[in-house]
Amino acid sequence: MDKRTTQLHSYHASQNAKFIDFGDWSMPFSYEGTLKEHDVVRNSSGFFDVSHMGRLEIDYSELDKISSLICSDLINIPMNKALYSIFTNENGNALDDVIFWKFEDKIILIPNASNASKIKSHLVDHKVDFIDKSLETVLIAVQGPRTIELINDRFEIPEKFSTAKSDNFMYARTGYTGEDGIEIMASNAEAGSLISFLIEKGIKPCGLGSRDTLRLEASLPLYGFELTEDITPVEASLSWTITNDHDFLGSDRIKTQLQDGNHKILKKFTIESRKIARTETIGMSGDIKGIVTSGNFSPILNKSIGFILFENKPPQNLIEFDIRGNLIEGNIVNKRFLS
Amino acid sequence: MSDIKYLETHEWYLINEEVITVGISDFAQNELGDIVYVTLPEVGQDFEKGAPVVEVEATKTVAEAYAPMDCTITEVNSQLETEPETINNDPCGDGWMFKAKVNAIDDSGMSYQEYETFVS
Repeated sequence: MDKRTTQLHSYHASQNAKFIDFGDWSMPFSYEGTLKEHDVVRNSSGFFDVSHMGRLEIDYSELDKISSLICSDLINIPMNKALYSIFTNENGNALDDVIFWKFEDKIILIPNASNASKIKSHLVDHKVDFIDKSLETVLIAVQGPRTIELINDRFEIPEKFSTAKSDNFMYARTGYTGEDGIEIMASNAEAGSLISFLIEKGIKPCGLGSRDTLRLEASLPLYGFELTEDITPVEASLSWTITNDHDFLGSDRIKTQLQDGNHKILKKFTIESRKIARTETIGMSGDIKGIVTSGNFSPILNKSIGFILFENKPPQNLIEFDIRGNLIEGNIVNKRFLS
Repeated sequence: MSDIKYLETHEWYLINEEVITVGISDFAQNELGDIVYVTLPEVGQDFEKGAPVVEVEATKTVAEAYAPMDCTITEVNSQLETEPETINNDPCGDGWMFKAKVNAIDDSGMSYQEYETFVS
């Protein structure tokens, strides 16, 4: 089956992007190289075409219904704020991690590309009305410490984790790299001129390769790796997202886990070398077994980092990894990778 | 000295009398993307043709470079331990990986033109 491509595919191809299959999509993996693009976002500004993610418009009449499906308090966060949350199933496990943008007149829900169909079905099942805007819009993430100064002549810049809109764009000061920046939803008709504007400002196109190394360095989970339908927000060390005081799908199990602490647990680790403990690598903390969910090289820390899911609370910080038959030591880190 | 030859597994080798110099092709480094770590063999280690000699860690994936023929390692490019990106920058020059004494000559690799056809 042919892979889906975004509205900006011909632009990516014209920039000699290398493409990678990502679920149903063919997406740019890199243009000039993952590490170069990583560096651009850490030091200047880069943009990512993330139009493969979903964009659903929801009316405030649906707020209570949708609130019963997520673990965070969407009702009480102020207008014009963005909210990271998790859709849970009846077992409290993660169906998807998503972003909500609250505007005065509507809510925008951004599910992951790989889960967009599932979330749409889930909303239909729970009688939540929505309008799917995915096919008529693009989503561009502009990220990096220089982003705001480079785009503030065209965009009114909201506070961090806040939303704004103009005639042609809806956007929020959010991202997935650990850097400042905004994520912009534009109509397909505006997509070309938006990209031209970003390029004129010297903002470089970046691919999913650097998006992955950046998000890992920023200690952010990726659905399909850290989050699956087999893990709760508590187990994924995302208890801070559980702010919904009302009952929501699976909230009983989540409350039990919060109280008794007896559950598997996702941890971050570093290895003092460039040897990478990749996904599915086994790591032992004492006699507690863990499986690496994501692992890669951190350009900033100049060592290997990753997430590992332990069967239960690890008794020590030292982890012994079996990397293709070699015993390699690493350490659990409880702080963020980047200070 | 003969010309550089290429293997279907994307290594190149250069035979100079009884010693081969081995690395990975420009196509291979480009496919792998940014190389961040290599595990080199030790001098004196013996390898049979087709055995994995070097482990190459890239941000995208991990790959191995195989022995083009039966050989014994005589020298490794220790620059790669601190600057593995040399393989990306100059795969067939400064990015060479190891030199080895040939124990059983097998010069059946592809010419540059044949390899170009193979990968295109």
